[in-house]
Amino acid sequence: MEGAHDVLVIGAGCAGMRAAIEAFDAGANVALLSKIHPTRSHSGAAEGGINAALGNASEDNPELHSYDTVKGADYLGDQDAIEILCTEGPGDVYELENWGAVFSRTDDGRIAQRPFGAAGAPRTAYAADITGHVLIQVLYEQVVKRNIPVYEEYFAWKLVEDGGRCVGVLAWNLLTGGLEAIPAKTTILATGGAGRLYVGTTNAYACTGDGMTMALRVGVPLKDMEMMQFHPTTLAPTGVLITEGCRGEGAFLLNKDGERFLKRYAPNAMELASRDVISRAEQTEIDEGRGIDGNVMLDLRHLGAAKIIERLHGTRELSMVFAGIDPIYDPIPVRPGAHYHMGGVHTDALGRTTLDGLYAAGEVACISVHGANRLGGNALLETITFGRRAGADASDVAFRTPEAQIPDSAVRDAEAELRELLDRKDGERPWKIRDELAETMHANFGVFRREDQMIEQGKIVEGLRERYERVIVEDKGDVFNNDLTQALELGFLLELAECMVVAGIARKESRGAHARPYDFPDRDDANFLKHTMVSWNGAGPKLGWRPVTITKWQPAARSY
Amino acid sequence: MKKVAYYKGCLASLSAKELDTSTKALAPKIGLELIELESVTCCGAGDIHEAEPDFYLHLNARILSYASASGADTLLTVCNVCTLNLRQANWQLVGDAELRARVNENLVSVGVPAYERDIDVRHLLWELAEDEGFEQLKAVAHKGLKGLKIAPFYGCQILRPSRILGFEDPDRPSSLERIIEACGGEAVDYPAKLKCCGFPIIQAREETALGELVQPIEQAVDAGADAMVTPCPLCHLSLDAWQSKLKAVTGRDFKMPILHLSQLIGVAAGLPESELKFRRHVVSVKPVLEKLDA
Amino acid sequence: MKVALKIWRSNAETGERALREYEVEAPEWVTLLDVLDVIKDRHDGTLAFRKSCRMMICGSCGMRMDGAAVLACKTRMYDMVQAGHVPVISAMGNLPILKDLVVDMDPFWAKFKAVNPYLKTGYEEPPPGREFRISQKRMNAIQKEALCINCGACVSECNAMESDPDFLGPQALAKAMRFVGDPRDAGRVDRLEDLNGKNGIWQCTRCYFCNERCPKGVDPRDAIAKLGAESVKEGIDRDMGAKHAKWFVTSAKTTGWLRETELVPHTQGIVETIKQTRFALALARRGKVPPPFPPHVAKDVKEARLLYDLVQEQGRAGYEGIVQGEAALAKLAHGYREGERDPYGEGSFPRPYIAGEEATAS
Repeated sequence: MEGAHDVLVIGAGCAGMRAAIEAFDAGANVALLSKIHPTRSHSGAAEGGINAALGNASEDNPELHSYDTVKGADYLGDQDAIEILCTEGPGDVYELENWGAVFSRTDDGRIAQRPFGAAGAPRTAYAADITGHVLIQVLYEQVVKRNIPVYEEYFAWKLVEDGGRCVGVLAWNLLTGGLEAIPAKTTILATGGAGRLYVGTTNAYACTGDGMTMALRVGVPLKDMEMMQFHPTTLAPTGVLITEGCRGEGAFLLNKDGERFLKRYAPNAMELASRDVISRAEQTEIDEGRGIDGNVMLDLRHLGAAKIIERLHGTRELSMVFAGIDPIYDPIPVRPGAHYHMGGVHTDALGRTTLDGLYAAGEVACISVHGANRLGGNALLETITFGRRAGADASDVAFRTPEAQIPDSAVRDAEAELRELLDRKDGERPWKIRDELAETMHANFGVFRREDQMIEQGKIVEGLRERYERVIVEDKGDVFNNDLTQALELGFLLELAECMVVAGIARKESRGAHARPYDFPDRDDANFLKHTMVSWNGAGPKLGWRPVTITKWQPAARSY
Repeated sequence: MKKVAYYKGCLASLSAKELDTSTKALAPKIGLELIELESVTCCGAGDIHEAEPDFYLHLNARILSYASASGADTLLTVCNVCTLNLRQANWQLVGDAELRARVNENLVSVGVPAYERDIDVRHLLWELAEDEGFEQLKAVAHKGLKGLKIAPFYGCQILRPSRILGFEDPDRPSSLERIIEACGGEAVDYPAKLKCCGFPIIQAREETALGELVQPIEQAVDAGADAMVTPCPLCHLSLDAWQSKLKAVTGRDFKMPILHLSQLIGVAAGLPESELKFRRHVVSVKPVLEKLDA
Repeated sequence: MKVALKIWRSNAETGERALREYEVEAPEWVTLLDVLDVIKDRHDGTLAFRKSCRMMICGSCGMRMDGAAVLACKTRMYDMVQAGHVPVISAMGNLPILKDLVVDMDPFWAKFKAVNPYLKTGYEEPPPGREFRISQKRMNAIQKEALCINCGACVSECNAMESDPDFLGPQALAKAMRFVGDPRDAGRVDRLEDLNGKNGIWQCTRCYFCNERCPKGVDPRDAIAKLGAESVKEGIDRDMGAKHAKWFVTSAKTTGWLRETELVPHTQGIVETIKQTRFALALARRGKVPPPFPPHVAKDVKEARLLYDLVQEQGRAGYEGIVQGEAALAKLAHGYREGERDPYGEGSFPRPYIAGEEATAS
């Protein structure tokens, strides 16, 4: 096309598509760019639901929702942004329904809501246990309706910074090969999380933190990188997600003796405590020998076949295919798995990063609305509310921005780098580096963290990065060369791992998902009620801090 | 003798009468006592299911009800489409008490007995492919097929959807092959064995249907088959009556004889032409009969 | 365990195809996708295939195993390996092959877009700032169609599409039904008009391959039947397929048995029937054209006529007539039989309890 797009959205999951729709409706020349077809995005794997204070299942209001979110975040969330999320949320969810989202319904025909972890009221609007799938479908339908152009199966590799602003992206065309320069006046990163850092993860193969590293490499800081949420109920060995919705419908978590052990850890909320509390409880039970083969048991038997088949049909299928278990008859063995990254590209509540013209929304961003731990159902909401806000602001700014051009030198340098990688004949195949990274992160930077292990992990990652310099790509062709793109993804992951470890060591307290029971078991508001900020100074990560915005809720003791 | 309620369906009543006569002649020889159902209608094929699905359900419920009232435990079919339709309706009624109650209320109000005692719907193919039926088959096929090469054509709706049919693996079925071999023939394999003959759209979308039909015919011919056999009279119409239309499409005059399942077994059992009625076929079966007499 | 596969490789530039055999070491729990990953990582980095979620929800990894489309991530290898079977893996059918197991999905998405797959709002607006009020029962009419993950397995195996690539196909038609059955959509009749075109509803050959292959239980063939039912209900019946179907109804309630010979002119019209005279004569000589007179009337056909009238009164016309049977048929799909086993019986996992309290059974 001639000239730059007004808005280019990288990543076409829920956040990306919602942003693009908003920009389109504002009149912007907008395009989506994604390394996979939009409906393949990992937003589609979300199961349990999307939170909003609709009040369909009980009395509820945005302030209650905000409080639950603030507390759930272990007070590391920025409360002004949280209030925006919870106040604008209901309107966003109604809009999705009006667009045709196939929600489950209450007896009187309203959007059905179920209880979810750490929520004071049942506010998780759901579609059986395939809510993410339903939302991805409705958003793609709206993208198709508007005929928004999609650079489909384009692998975004480098953001281009020129004259103090982001002017677009260099992307590898996966279908026909070749690097393409796509200029844009504003760019929105919506590339999701980085679960692939861990061997047991709910995340798709595509979740390799691309946007975070791309932002890092153009000087944008990443916030709260140490905060990786471990979802309590994932299947061994791969980490396939079993939705929190099971517990929302009343399932129990049991140790090997059949004991509902959460009574000892979260006596009030029990199975509906916040995810970090439950993951830690499970890990403790497992570590102390009360697990079975490294798992605890998720028991749905008492829900009965009718309810399981009607509301948790997807879960039953996953359990039968991947664990060989029919939850009607037997409990499902589960354990904590890397699931959601609270940290990410530092943005404000409009999605703006520190680089002019660059935005971030969804899991890739850290505003922060989730602080040190995310409530189930809030991630889908974040993608919609802040995807919309980013799309709106980006198009507004784009209208006031002069043309954007990508300098030829940027393209030439990138092509040379790619050529060097493709031409390399001797070296190591990426899989070993990738598997070692994932296994060591799991062992040294998992649910429970220790200083010595984290320091060791930092060294391991540095070693892996050195080996990565000599990684080889076997496929030298142009058509569908995902051997190349998978190697580039590994590069993204390695830099993120370094940032995470640096931030983890620096936070000398336990807060939310960052648990240091051996050296710093308590929360330390006096010294650490602040976000970690990691920037890249060419050679490695540089650490900074940023205060948390408190509006209404002073940090208090957090128990469930 | 096993008593079965015999539902012959529309084609066997009229244009495929040879299917009915050969089945009736064969039945006593293979231990089946046919109680022919009379107060029945067309099962609706895929058409009534598509145009008036509630009517489809009631028509089939009526057939099931009368079959059940006959006292037999099995409702025997000789057509793939009837089999799918009746089994699908049966699963719907048996699996949903409320639906069954509503349908039964309607049946009773027009003078049809309620469908209360469950009956199982089985195609003749299934009766003969295993257990007692297979033993009977082997015993009756004394004249044999003398190594005749027979290409089996299953026809979609005896295999899929497998949840409803459920007799054998829909991708690796073997019932026809076993029967062919038990009759002394040689089963011929070819890629389109399990694909569609196109009959459902042969009038509404002739070109598309012929594009499907040419595959099994051409492949069977090229694989050296002497004849084809099919358990479905609708497939039979496609393969036999519409075969001549393939000449315009391919330039080839295939002349591939098509046998109904009951005729294949009937030949091996030595049934006479008066019961097999091969003269009713559009593509002559003479070459097959000549080979057998040779 | 040792896993062996044969894969149809194709050269992206020349289009050359070759069957290659691979044997790798893999854990017992692996799926086909896992094995492909092992091959690509450790043996042949040029092997191309799509993947993402590995949990049957993104629809990326559609491919053929032994000629039948499956999701690679849903296909466990253990039983196959135990049986000594070496499967042949190839790209999905009915779509151009780009490279190895990667097909060009553009034609697939083009058909998806052709059915206007987005809600058309109209006269019925929801209360301002709130949701449409619809019962779960009404939404259940499109429960299955809403499951579609656009994987292409149905399209891969569609026999009608293989014969005529312009056929809209099971995926697009199921997606269309998702909207036709959505009470919020105001475009129902317009959609049905469009879907009654040359490459729409009535081109489906009813081979049921789509129902058989769909990994999510969408049952596209049934969705197409629902569209047909709804079309007939709306009086959209100009297509030969619709006329054909309606003649079966007429036959059933007049003579009980199908009025075969009259079916032809009622479907194709008099002109076309006359064109087919020579063909018809060849059939007639064999007795394949039963004379319509005297009519072949089934016994007690009056019962069928009365049932027809009753059913009209009770108003489950259109797709509702098919949806009403879905709950029962779903039981076949999810394979649960009540009373088969006691979840807390002998040998089961103990009943849950809270330490210090009485056993909490349920």
